[in-house]
Amino acid sequence: MTALRKQRDRFTETSDSDEIILMRMDTGEFLSLSGTAAAIWKLIDGERDRDSLIEALEAEFAESAAGIAKDVDRLLGQLIGSGLLASE
Amino acid sequence: MTRTAAELMLERETRVAYGTVLHSLSEEPLPESSWQLCEDQFLLRGEGDHYFHYERGHGVRIERGAGAAVTEESLWLNGSVYAAIASINGLFPIHASAVACDGKVFAFTAPAGGGKSTIVAALGAHGLPMFCDDTLVLDLSDPDRIMCLPGHKRLKLTPSALALTGVEPCEKVSATVDKLYAVPRSGEIGEALPLRELIFLEEGKEPEMLAVSGADRLMLLQDDHYTARLFLTARQFSRVDQFTHLVRLARQIGVTIFRRPLDRSRFIDGVEFTARHVTGSAERART
Repeated sequence: MTALRKQRDRFTETSDSDEIILMRMDTGEFLSLSGTAAAIWKLIDGERDRDSLIEALEAEFAESAAGIAKDVDRLLGQLIGSGLLASE
Repeated sequence: MTRTAAELMLERETRVAYGTVLHSLSEEPLPESSWQLCEDQFLLRGEGDHYFHYERGHGVRIERGAGAAVTEESLWLNGSVYAAIASINGLFPIHASAVACDGKVFAFTAPAGGGKSTIVAALGAHGLPMFCDDTLVLDLSDPDRIMCLPGHKRLKLTPSALALTGVEPCEKVSATVDKLYAVPRSGEIGEALPLRELIFLEEGKEPEMLAVSGADRLMLLQDDHYTARLFLTARQFSRVDQFTHLVRLARQIGVTIFRRPLDRSRFIDGVEFTARHVTGSAERART
């Protein structure tokens, strides 16, 4: 699998209690990440791939691997689709 | 009463003189009812050849040429010109009317005609003095808190708002504006105070206050009123700067949505509900 890397020149971010808020630099749109989505975002460090993200989340959340994988795939699809994330 | 550096600066920068002025800050002619802002200069053209030119350090100069509507002059001065001067000098004007309670400002915002002035006028009957009408100027120079400069505009109400609130009317605002000046029942505050809460007015079935957080707060704080456009133009913010600015506002300003029925028979319920919210919030801030 390939490592997931945040495209830092394409967004800026802040956090508000348990929520992470991203702003796309090209459109100015906001993207709010909370719960599992915020945890996934925090774990993306340029080295982890999809499977290692799921593995790390399994330890943190009392949820089945299948459920976590669904959340991870949905978010990664959204982030890669919007250009905020790349798999290398 | 000690006045802040920002108040003194605004007083100095908004002084007015009359004479001839530039008719454009660029090579393009300036159409009626539009403005140009270029670094430390602002030029507004009202109706006809009615020009308002501001340059930092030199105050405002007004040219009353052919077709100038002199009765509208104070509205232009107190509106766009004042907001531009504030913005050029690092202050942040927002589209809001406000009351003060226990040394803190509670500001109400909504699109034009959304009831900002009306709620402020009505809260006067609950002992809450007006802080400003229509434009609230924020001083962001202290990184730890956001200060509000006392209002520079008189309270303006429509005839229906006067009837709803029972506030005594004064003279008509101008020939073209269907509003009258009015005197707030509990007076006005003339000193800078910290901003406690920004309340967005919306229509709802029952009066309710909803606390807003996170990205929703940032979304709400993205104002599209002319005051915000002037500020962004004057500051020449990049997207990152805008985001940083919004995040700071979101962290330091309590944001609430106030939903209430617009049915006139329920107006008093909404006002009483708001008065309880404001006094309760001020009390919590104290303890």
